[in-house]
Amino acid sequence: MAVDVFSVPIFLVVFREALETVIIISVLLAFLKQTLDGPNRDPQVYRKLVWQVWLGTGLGFFICFAVGGAVIGVFYTSGANKWEGTELNYEGAFSLIAAIIITIVGAALLRIGKMQEKWRVKLAVAMEEPIRIGSTKGSIKRFFEKYAMFILPFITVLREGIEAIVFVAGVTFSAPASAVPLPVIMGLLVGAVVGYILYKGGSSTRLQIFLVFSTCLLYLVAAGLFSRAVWYFEAQKWNNAVGGDAAEVGDGPGSYDIDKSVWHVNCCSPTLNGGSGWGFFNAILGWTNSATYGSVLAYNLYWIFVIVMFIVMRYREVKGHYPLMRAKAPLTQTEATKTHDSENEAPVPSGSQSREEIAESKAVNTHTSKAHV
Amino acid sequence: MASSLVCLLGSLAIASASTVKYDFEIGWVTANPDGLADRPTIGINGQWPIPKIEANVGDQLIVNVLNSLGNQSTSLHFHGLYMNGSTHMDGPAQVTQCAIQPGSRFTYNFTISQPGTYWYHSHTHGQYPDGLRGPLIIHDPESPFKDRYDEEMVLTVSDWYHDQMPGLLSFFISKVNPTGAEPVPNSALLNETQDLRVPVEPGKTYLFRMINIGAFAGQYIWFESHNMTIIEVDGVYTQPAEAERIYLSAAQRCSFLLTTRNDTSENFAINANMDITLFDQLPGDLNWNVTGWLVYDSAKPLPIPTELESDVYDEFDDMTLVPWDNQALLGEPDQSISLDVIMDNLNDGANYAFFNNITYVAPKVPTLFTVLTSGDLVSNSAIYGEYTHPFVLEKDQIVEIIVNNIDPGKHPFHLHGHNFQAVWRSEEEAGTFQDSGVTSDNFTQVPMRRDTVVLFPNGNVVLRFKADNPGVWLFHCHIEWHVQSGLMATFVEAPLELQQTLAVPKDHYDACDAGKVPTQGNAAGNTVNLFDLSGQNVPPGPLPEGFTTRGKVAMAFSVLTGLIGVAVVAWYGFAGPAPAAAAPAAAPPQSVGTGGGISHGTLVGAGK
Repeated sequence: MAVDVFSVPIFLVVFREALETVIIISVLLAFLKQTLDGPNRDPQVYRKLVWQVWLGTGLGFFICFAVGGAVIGVFYTSGANKWEGTELNYEGAFSLIAAIIITIVGAALLRIGKMQEKWRVKLAVAMEEPIRIGSTKGSIKRFFEKYAMFILPFITVLREGIEAIVFVAGVTFSAPASAVPLPVIMGLLVGAVVGYILYKGGSSTRLQIFLVFSTCLLYLVAAGLFSRAVWYFEAQKWNNAVGGDAAEVGDGPGSYDIDKSVWHVNCCSPTLNGGSGWGFFNAILGWTNSATYGSVLAYNLYWIFVIVMFIVMRYREVKGHYPLMRAKAPLTQTEATKTHDSENEAPVPSGSQSREEIAESKAVNTHTSKAHV
Repeated sequence: MASSLVCLLGSLAIASASTVKYDFEIGWVTANPDGLADRPTIGINGQWPIPKIEANVGDQLIVNVLNSLGNQSTSLHFHGLYMNGSTHMDGPAQVTQCAIQPGSRFTYNFTISQPGTYWYHSHTHGQYPDGLRGPLIIHDPESPFKDRYDEEMVLTVSDWYHDQMPGLLSFFISKVNPTGAEPVPNSALLNETQDLRVPVEPGKTYLFRMINIGAFAGQYIWFESHNMTIIEVDGVYTQPAEAERIYLSAAQRCSFLLTTRNDTSENFAINANMDITLFDQLPGDLNWNVTGWLVYDSAKPLPIPTELESDVYDEFDDMTLVPWDNQALLGEPDQSISLDVIMDNLNDGANYAFFNNITYVAPKVPTLFTVLTSGDLVSNSAIYGEYTHPFVLEKDQIVEIIVNNIDPGKHPFHLHGHNFQAVWRSEEEAGTFQDSGVTSDNFTQVPMRRDTVVLFPNGNVVLRFKADNPGVWLFHCHIEWHVQSGLMATFVEAPLELQQTLAVPKDHYDACDAGKVPTQGNAAGNTVNLFDLSGQNVPPGPLPEGFTTRGKVAMAFSVLTGLIGVAVVAWYGFAGPAPAAAAPAAAPPQSVGTGGGISHGTLVGAGK
């Protein structure tokens, strides 16, 4: 080992960030392929959306390289890590945004997988509809719907990239500069290749399985991100309190706020030295060697939210209305279906029928409540 | 002839022994010794710097204290005095007395049996850096050097903070200072001021009594173009030793002869540089040097100090000093105490200092009162409580203290009630004494004695003394921050004799009553079963190691919700298409009516 040309931590970080990015991109591409490039081909919309994905990715990369260049330039000219002061707040914000986007898009992906046809239409409608200036709320929503395929990879690449840059830039001060380029390129390549294999595997075998599997993975990542967002904000507060970078004391005492700690092991840090294997653990399962009340609660609440969200969604799919919210009229399931059918076919049901049904349902209700008692 | 002269002098000394009395009203004044910031400072009788205490060997010293601070209790320690027969006058609060409450009076009354350069300071709540620190000089009509000098002067070096100790301490011992970084002083002072002018006459020899009365910083001290001849350290006369530059840690003293030049054409700088290796960080605006001048001619300019050629101070090694009385190395110890200096964090997140695994916490009953009220259990160290880190020494034992520094900082260790032979001191980074292979054969045969010795980073030191002074004596690092973070042990020396002979005056008990401090029982204040230490003062618990119960529960919950969550996502993903009837609620009615295929085509058409 005459010259140090390969910094393992840098490789791991770049690989991890690249993989995370590619997983998200490949899920999006797989989805697009499945929904728009299948039997009901819609090459135009498909190409447009694929282009959006790649545009988001590309722009994300471009901004990353610009920011990275600027950051490294600042490092070398001022000799101080300007990011470090508030780095964790940025990380936290990016994590939070990513978690929210994955959550929304993930659900959409699954719904789309199931109700391809309708969603394809809806998506296509959204795509083609011009943005309206009138109502802000509506236009933002529409804007997001219209450019979701752009925003998600854009934010992902930006977040992962900036994370990697800050780390790589930091390491270049402790490691010789010669040890940087190779692992960065290797990390990107290996990450991309692994991602591509996932994608290929996904599109050639049963896409449904890949879609569900990778969406599960995405939600795991998102849960970790959400938890980490809280963790980052807390870590930034702690850094400010300690008056320096708490990470400088390694993973031992003082690297965390004891009063907020749920567990802390003096090892296995996902951030120190690229995190080694713990970094992957962190990226995919949200592992941290120093959990706080906030991060644990965030993780669990996130999952509870996701669980409830999917159950509610399924409930609505099956029953046609949200739980606890009587749809149009309080009905039993079969009657609801019937009514819905009739509603669609003949929008105005007769008043007397409706009243009858209300009375009927009240009787059912009293009955059930009695049974509960 | 010679012996009769000694007898004569001896009787003269006894005849001249007198009572020296000081009335001290301790209160707040405003001071600004470095010209950078006014701050409330603890003065005496409305003055700061506080007065110098002076007496002769054999004198009885009475200090009447009135605490007028209003917001803080206090106590006075007379650093270096053996307090033989008067351990209750030694000063540390909760050890040999109760702190003097605001508005209360207290009298220190003892006889001085030793000559030399000492100092007095508060020994309560890390208080002395706020100003309560001053020289205490015991003149010796029989000094072996009394004919070697014309005049004597006292010089102090110290460090100065612009903030008060209570605030600094609450930062220092807190979770936001997990590395235990000691607050860095704002200035260095010479005689509690800066730009000190010391008028001297040519061709004379002066005795300088130099004292570091600082809280934290050791100081390198030298006089440009003048050498020093060391003749005393910490009250122990030494064989004269030439030095160009000396190092004084907090609490160390050194007396030296300095002969002035014969011409008055120039004045010369006196340099005192704080030892910045002690500081965790160097604030950009910190001037860690203080300058004074030997002024031969006040009309001549005061020169700017010469820059050192390198950062190497090359100070005089005090281990090479030989005591004037040539006292030989004490024999093999009857009791050997090994203390490892460790810094670690406890579960409040703050950083504490430990001897072995114990960080000092003051007992509920001052240790001396436990001695006086524990009957025949007095020699059982358990009653003094684990966290006072007590060692019971039997009368006239030879005691050896081995201190291993497991910390990368310098620590000046001070023993109350004694001086000790510093029989061995390793270089930096030498590791523990036990691992070093050094034996008593390597010890200095006529070792230097003093009461405060510097232990080097990751090094070790071996000290010996004879337990011939019944009392309760602290052994501690004299960096005031470390006193507060617990780097302290208690030696209970000849407790049985102490219990039988010591009479504590009423005002000591009054002080305890005023502070509602119990004066009976063990460290926990239990009087029935002295081995029952329930309720004693304890430090925070240890930091949890890895996964505690709550960590496991949290992890289990997280894994469970994660698994359920993934299962729900998968369930939803694999669940069959929704019943056709339910779905249209979200979709526009016309698309349902017309059917997917057609609508699709229309939209693509619109897209073009």
